[in-house]
Amino acid sequence: MNNAQIEIQLIASLVAIACAIPGTFLVLRKMAMISDAISHSILPGIVIGFFITHDLNSPILILLAALTGIITVVLVEYIQKTGLVKEDTAIGLVFPALFSIGVILIAKNANDIHLDVDAVLLGELAFTPFDRLIIGGIDVGPKALWLIGSILMITIGLLFAFFKELKVSTFDAGLAASLGFSPAVIHYGLMTVSSITTVGAFDAVGAILVVALMIAPAATAYLLTNNLKRMLAYAICFGVFSAIAGYWLAHILDASISGSITTVLGVLFLVVYLFAPSKGIIAVLHRERQQRTEVSLLTFLLHLKNHKEKSERHVNHLNEHINWHKVRSKSVLELALKNNMISIEKNIVSLTKKGDDFTSQAINYIITNEDAQIEHMKDDFFLFRG
Amino acid sequence: MKNKIAVKVDDLTVAYNYKPVLWDIDLEIPEGVLMAIVGPNGAGKSTLIKSILGILKPIAGSVSIYGKPYEDQRSLVAYVPQKGSVDWDFPTTALDVVKMGTYGSLGWIKRPGLKQKKAALEALEKVGMLPFKNRQISQLSGGQQQRIFLARALVQNASIYFMDEPFQGVDATTEIAIINILKELRKAGKTVIVVHHDLQTVPEYFDWVTFLNVKKIATGPVKDIFNDDNLTKTYGINYKVSIQE
Repeated sequence: MNNAQIEIQLIASLVAIACAIPGTFLVLRKMAMISDAISHSILPGIVIGFFITHDLNSPILILLAALTGIITVVLVEYIQKTGLVKEDTAIGLVFPALFSIGVILIAKNANDIHLDVDAVLLGELAFTPFDRLIIGGIDVGPKALWLIGSILMITIGLLFAFFKELKVSTFDAGLAASLGFSPAVIHYGLMTVSSITTVGAFDAVGAILVVALMIAPAATAYLLTNNLKRMLAYAICFGVFSAIAGYWLAHILDASISGSITTVLGVLFLVVYLFAPSKGIIAVLHRERQQRTEVSLLTFLLHLKNHKEKSERHVNHLNEHINWHKVRSKSVLELALKNNMISIEKNIVSLTKKGDDFTSQAINYIITNEDAQIEHMKDDFFLFRG
Repeated sequence: MKNKIAVKVDDLTVAYNYKPVLWDIDLEIPEGVLMAIVGPNGAGKSTLIKSILGILKPIAGSVSIYGKPYEDQRSLVAYVPQKGSVDWDFPTTALDVVKMGTYGSLGWIKRPGLKQKKAALEALEKVGMLPFKNRQISQLSGGQQQRIFLARALVQNASIYFMDEPFQGVDATTEIAIINILKELRKAGKTVIVVHHDLQTVPEYFDWVTFLNVKKIATGPVKDIFNDDNLTKTYGINYKVSIQE
């Protein structure tokens, strides 16, 4: 690996971390689309900033662009508050309007500046090492690295300081307000951080990948944990992994780095979506099958409990009585036997003590919905886990 | 008659999109009562609570808690929002939600520590939810979630408790457990204000009641004012039969 390669991966990783942190809260606040809106509508801010400063990494440009991001949020909320259109419609109205202003501004001045729409949408990580920060004649590294590094430091500082406030206002804005943590202050704080991060990452990865880096790692992490801190940590890990893996994928395929990073993010999400231990598709399907079996088992046990007469409990007639296919009857019979819930004597099925207790408890739960007594059953049976 | 006024509402008017949902409400809630706010859907019951707590901005009128504005008296007040107002899939545990009740006393930036954890565990114990402390909140039943919310209010150790429909969607056991805790709070001299839907249980659960339907219809002791006349005024139809059954 040469220096430029290391620098690119470092920049991509820092961008991924800086995006994953606000991204986690955006996902939990169901505001993923807002990041899409911000990433597009900061374009006019960037263009105007560029006219003034002629430097894509200038702090003035960053602030101007972040301001357009905030304006987007305010406009969306204003339109939404009129009650005439819903939030998604408001987002769909605001950001294309602002974005198109940016596109026109670029087209009108295309001859003077090296900023084109392709670069804006997809970014160009590969070029970031060429734009160096020189302090007192000494080369201290790529400007993009310093820029995103500073933004990341601020983001991490804010996260540590206001983690509790972010958590409570995201979970329960009403409680936050009654406790004196203004949800509006926290909301606009988060929006400001998201906007600044978006601008900082924009030059390196472009408008589309910024959204992917904010939302995909957080969404993937959400499927894997029930703990907010862990969700943040996982999101950061997924972001960094995708950044580095994406870089090497691009290297092998000789393709766009940002495109490859996004692809890795997508694949990562798909894998977790399929295989996540409790929320993944396969786990959910397995659970549903299990639940179906357990309902069958309960139906079967209930039948035995309700019928003392032997004719109703003969092995060969069971499937006729409950109106099931033979295969299903057999599997349920085996399951009940394995759990010591029934005994079979001369082809007559009877409930054991355990089976009898289990049935009573389960029925009682289903009728009363009081779940204190069946707490111990939750570990063994999906049926009672709600 | 108790003489100290816990909550005083003066000429409160609240509007959504310039349509008033609460109109010129005057209300005095004496200290130490267990009060139900009743009224039909859209009567502004939740809105009244939210306006008292400063969550909604009224277009006119004022609210005071023990004679001072709410902002100065936050530590005296605990709030239980409607269970449906939050996302129960949020990645957190029962204990953590209860800990959120301590955030108000901590103020900005400071983190909860051992003391807050201990208080939260005690509150969980009080509502019978200690065995569930590490359970993810989506894995709790509706009744359990409501108990968690109650525990979160208890941990605030307030003087006045506002609860928005704490009995909605809970089983009978939880309802009894909750009302027993509320009665205990009243015994300890606290003031408890509950948005309530089930008129049948008002005389049994509460000692004070406010009838609300955009305007205040009546407020006072249940034994004096919980009658057909006020019910009819509030709900617009004759309630005689349903209540006396």
